[in-house]
Amino acid sequence: MITLTPRMKNWLEKMGAHIGTADKKGFPTVIVVETAKVEGGGTVLFKLTAAQLAQVRANIEENPFVALGPGGLACIRAPYQYKGPAKIKESVLEVQVTEIYCTKPGPEAAARLDILPKEDMIKFDDTRWRDVGPPQ
Amino acid sequence: MKLTEEMKDALKPVGMGGCVVHLTTCNLEGVCNTVGERFVAHFQDEFILIADMFAQKTKVNLNENPVGVITIAHPVKGRTWAFRGPCTVIQWGHPDEYDFHGAKAGDVLREWGNWSEKEPPSEVPPDIRPPVLVQRGVITLKVDEIYSWGPSEAGRSIL
Repeated sequence: MITLTPRMKNWLEKMGAHIGTADKKGFPTVIVVETAKVEGGGTVLFKLTAAQLAQVRANIEENPFVALGPGGLACIRAPYQYKGPAKIKESVLEVQVTEIYCTKPGPEAAARLDILPKEDMIKFDDTRWRDVGPPQ
Repeated sequence: MKLTEEMKDALKPVGMGGCVVHLTTCNLEGVCNTVGERFVAHFQDEFILIADMFAQKTKVNLNENPVGVITIAHPVKGRTWAFRGPCTVIQWGHPDEYDFHGAKAGDVLREWGNWSEKEPPSEVPPDIRPPVLVQRGVITLKVDEIYSWGPSEAGRSIL
């Protein structure tokens, strides 16, 4: 069970994510949800509109694994990528994060962070950034 | 599909009035990879280019599944666009005449093969600027389809 760092949670909740989905043959469709809610440490909830549900429902049903790229300013200031299986409950997309990667450009790009002990992942985040979340 | 002038204006680095984009690719089983990209440009009327600098998983995906989606990430300013189409990496070493849906490798590389010199990341704050920029090639997406990612109209075709 992965727990996002407090900083990751703050940025994701305020800025949402670009959600990469694909059918089983690997044809991608991306939706963008501009806020999110993190529950239980590593579950990210996105409220979808009717149009978004129509666009990705078939993909999620046949291939539940999705990727989350942080939305808005978070794509620069919180450059992590979250991956995991998703399911749709009524109009909410529920993503259980099972992988976290650093996507900050440079030698650490693509480094997998969820393999670190929880305190080391927090340290990784804290030592590279001064904020604890997006500006108010 | 031809990009509009407004789209071309958006497909530039943030410091030039453009925006950071997300590039989504996936492997053949449909495992997606969604990452932010600063070095973005349009090429001719139908292509979007991104510098291949640290695109490790992206390259693995494109080698087996050459399709991608580019979405406007920041600042959005109403530009809720998603561009989808065939996507590859045109790399140093490809012959000049190598042709990807009408984009010639030589033309792409001569114009965009040394991106950090052409458009240095001067607007990028020191804490997020990579210490070294080494470019292996140019990620090239041929725009086949443009849809809106605006939440209330997600998936609506544009143009």
